[in-house]
Amino acid sequence: MATRQLALPARRRAPDTSGARRGHRARRREAAAGWLFTAPAVVALIVFLVVPIIMAAWVSVSDWSGIGSPFSAGVHAVGTANYAALLTQPGLPQQDLGMSIRDNLYYVLLVVPLQTALALLLAVVVSRKALRGRGFFRTAFYFPSVTSSVAVSMIFLFLFADSGVVNGALGFLGVHGPQWFTDPNGLLHMIARGAGIRPPAVLTGHGLLGLSWWDWLAGPSVAMVTLIILAIWTTSGTFMLLFLPALYNISEEVEEAAIVDGAGPWTRFRRITLPLIRPALFLVLTLGLIGTWQVFDQVFLITQGNPAGTTLTPAYLAYQVSFGSQQWGQGAAIAFILFGIIVIFTVLQRLVLRERGSVTQARGRGM
Amino acid sequence: MSPAAGQIAGRRNPWLRSGLYLTLAVFAFLYIYPFLLELGTAFKTETDAVGNPTNPLPHNWVVSAFSQLGNQDFPRWFTNSVIVAVFVTLGRILFDSMAGYALARLRFRGRGAVFAAIIAVMAVPGVVLLIPKFLVIRTLGIYDTYPGLIIPLLADATGVFIMKQFFESVPASIEEAAKIDGAGVFRIFWSVSLPMARPALMALTILSFQGSWNDFSDILIAHENPSLDTLTTGVGRLVSGQLGAATEYPLKLAAAVAMTVPVAIVFFVFQKHIMRTGQGALKE
Amino acid sequence: MKHTRAFLAAAAVIGVLAAASACGSSAPAASSAGQPSKTPITLMFGSSGPAETKAVNAAAAAFTRQSGIKVNVVAASNLTQQLAQGFAAGHPPDVFYLDPGSFQNYAKDNALYPYAQTLPNAKDFYPALRAAFTYKGKFICDPKDASTLALYINTADWQQAGLTSADVPTNWSQLAAVAKKLTTHGRVGLVLDQSHSELDEFLYQNGGTVVGGNGQVDLDSTQNVAALSFLKTMLKAGTLKFPPALSSGWSGQAFGENKAAMDIVGNWMVGALQSDYPTIRYQVATIPAGPTGTAATLSFTNCWGVARSSGNVAGAVDFVKFLTTPQQQMAFSKAFGVIPSLATLQNQWQSTFPELAVHTKELTYAHPDIALPNDAQALSAFDSALAQLATGNPATILKNAQTNLAPLASQAG
Repeated sequence: MATRQLALPARRRAPDTSGARRGHRARRREAAAGWLFTAPAVVALIVFLVVPIIMAAWVSVSDWSGIGSPFSAGVHAVGTANYAALLTQPGLPQQDLGMSIRDNLYYVLLVVPLQTALALLLAVVVSRKALRGRGFFRTAFYFPSVTSSVAVSMIFLFLFADSGVVNGALGFLGVHGPQWFTDPNGLLHMIARGAGIRPPAVLTGHGLLGLSWWDWLAGPSVAMVTLIILAIWTTSGTFMLLFLPALYNISEEVEEAAIVDGAGPWTRFRRITLPLIRPALFLVLTLGLIGTWQVFDQVFLITQGNPAGTTLTPAYLAYQVSFGSQQWGQGAAIAFILFGIIVIFTVLQRLVLRERGSVTQARGRGM
Repeated sequence: MSPAAGQIAGRRNPWLRSGLYLTLAVFAFLYIYPFLLELGTAFKTETDAVGNPTNPLPHNWVVSAFSQLGNQDFPRWFTNSVIVAVFVTLGRILFDSMAGYALARLRFRGRGAVFAAIIAVMAVPGVVLLIPKFLVIRTLGIYDTYPGLIIPLLADATGVFIMKQFFESVPASIEEAAKIDGAGVFRIFWSVSLPMARPALMALTILSFQGSWNDFSDILIAHENPSLDTLTTGVGRLVSGQLGAATEYPLKLAAAVAMTVPVAIVFFVFQKHIMRTGQGALKE
Repeated sequence: MKHTRAFLAAAAVIGVLAAASACGSSAPAASSAGQPSKTPITLMFGSSGPAETKAVNAAAAAFTRQSGIKVNVVAASNLTQQLAQGFAAGHPPDVFYLDPGSFQNYAKDNALYPYAQTLPNAKDFYPALRAAFTYKGKFICDPKDASTLALYINTADWQQAGLTSADVPTNWSQLAAVAKKLTTHGRVGLVLDQSHSELDEFLYQNGGTVVGGNGQVDLDSTQNVAALSFLKTMLKAGTLKFPPALSSGWSGQAFGENKAAMDIVGNWMVGALQSDYPTIRYQVATIPAGPTGTAATLSFTNCWGVARSSGNVAGAVDFVKFLTTPQQQMAFSKAFGVIPSLATLQNQWQSTFPELAVHTKELTYAHPDIALPNDAQALSAFDSALAQLATGNPATILKNAQTNLAPLASQAG
């Protein structure tokens, strides 16, 4: 039965015996089919992803002012002027870029691990056979992911208002909640101040991209924390769903055998569960990294980069600089710098995970 | 821990079991409570909303927020959202499964290059391509039209990736059998592989529908005529710009409720399908 | 294999074609203002509230009845962004509100149709307003109205605190004292919007300036630092608060909800109070002068921009002509309290709205809100810093703003 195939662990593949049997003509038909099948997706990607990249590249080295076509006669190339203004020349563009990268970096570093861990935890708990009301819980956790960023932003604006729900709950616990959307202080700075640590001169004297090293270490601001919570709350449900099929695939017999052998829960998790969810984990981390560097809607709807530029992200900055200030060249340049950052992160992530992947693949086959 | 292990563990340790339910209850509360607040506040007066934020029950039930919204173009926004979401979802299911299948199963020159390109493209932040995507839309002459809202959203590298991963994880033996029987490539794809792909297709359907229904930035740049506004841009413009300078929580949350209810209904309907498929896989 | 190559070629061709077709024509050709056609025109504006939206819709409907040209009215939620998007798409609205800053950008790019000096009423506008919309000596678009900042006082709170008309503050120390008296539990004495557009008048009142007579930015003077320091002391004393601290989106909301007893804000407050907070009893007083007696306030204005690439330039210009008639200007004033831009209407306006006479009287010493080309980022950074004034350093705030804004002054037209 076809359904029986689905229960097999994702890693095992049937041996490919087709090569020897196929004839030359069949191979050509297959090749044609291959191109035909991928054509619509590929064309859409070329026209709406590749061509725009090329156009953005041109705009980023031009002085297009936003009126008329960017390829018209009046638009000139200005070389790397836009990039220089952003990366090397001290001034507001450089500082804004530095702030946006710093803010987004903290966002990424906090959201990706937390949402992955939470999604996995929820998936593990929800996938238990004996759990009653499993459907209800799964729905509850996934539901925030279903709503739009506009609706969620409205909800969070309400929840984190100064005398709103969150502060009310904190007050109940005896804690005086901060002014969530207007407090620009970074968490790490607040901790340092609380511990009486003063920044050494080497950190305040030098810096990168218009921010001193001490400013880079500010940590996410209180306002950024609300966006981080929003992201985790909204996307953990989607990623939970991505872990579930892999968890369902874990065979009962293997588990029972491991328990009988005396393996504790952590060992079972490491040896059985983790290798089998590795593809899902890879997918979740990749999607998480790419997604967190793209945060735009929430910044647009809730904070607009405030307070004091601590919720700026490169994506929002590019938009603001282009549509708000009509500095289209600079906006496109910011977009490319962001592109570079994401490529670096994605490559790093694949390098790190692929190595470990091959090791556990071997281990998996040995079982 | 696997589902089975949990069962065994539960049998052995009732404390673990109740601890489990407690954790679940706490998390479920954190995930559901904001929606209860959203629903309740939409029916409150402004003073009630600001004065008693933590109580989801209104002191006096009023529908003034909704009637204020009723003066806006909700039916049109709703229709536009449906049009966009349905066409984008159908398009993505078809094109992504075809491309994913081809990359997983069919051999053709350049297959590796196409896949590498897709991975590379996935890394490109969609949002920062807003401006150039907008220029392409304008150049193709589809700015301020329905195709302009729909076609750009068909470019979906993630969906192709998901389908490819799925097809690779399924053994090819059945397809091999069909091939030996003389079936053509498309026939195998349509009659054999695609039906097997139901779990992945379900996931793709939900992701696509949700993604297109909830899309804000792409719709924002693809049109300027208010008659093409979807729920997201219509409500977003309503509450985020100059018209939303005052913090009118009931109004904003009523808008949020009105946007969420349709997709919630669709979600609950589809939900049963996922559960059935999931359980089907579990039975074996 | 042949198929493969064919496909690669096809894909490449599609890509190139898409890119090549983007090499569209040059800047849109200027349409001549001949006979107005019946092509519908679009009006895009940024509204201050329901009162203004209603008034603009009414004006458009009246014009349609008179001329037969249909007007599509779009209330923008973010006028700057939507206007930029429209222009970049080659699809701008025909008529739109244009603030002096954006005016500089679009005038520089020759995107505006310069109808203003061809109209018979060109000389009837206030000179200061006319100057704001003149680029390189050419008067481009008609100013639509003017607003100034004045002091709004909640009369119920005022009487409750035992204050009389003699106590209306005329200088800073009186302002601070009165704000202290009016600050009670649950209500602050004074609320101000945390933006340069609402705070710069204090700089002028203290003898400083934002853009000097020579066109250069001069923000980091000692007088300006002292002015911001004055505001900072009030913030620290709790007699002055910014709207977010009062859970409000803008100062008008805080005033309207009686979370603040006084507000320094512009004419647009009138419309908001009429439609959203009708129960508030208020009085408009002259804005207090500085410690040395220098009177200063800020003025704001927009013009009716017409896009050069409009499909019906003649119709658009006719619409603007209609909108700048004395009757229509007075209608707008009645709806949301703005001062008509036609100087010839001054007396009529003052006799119709004696309670708002303060705003026009202030025109004599009003300074236009700063407007330089491409200033949006720098001003946004300035506003972000001002929002933190309570804990910030005035000298640093002004120095940073100076650094960011000074280079832009040379580009102004």
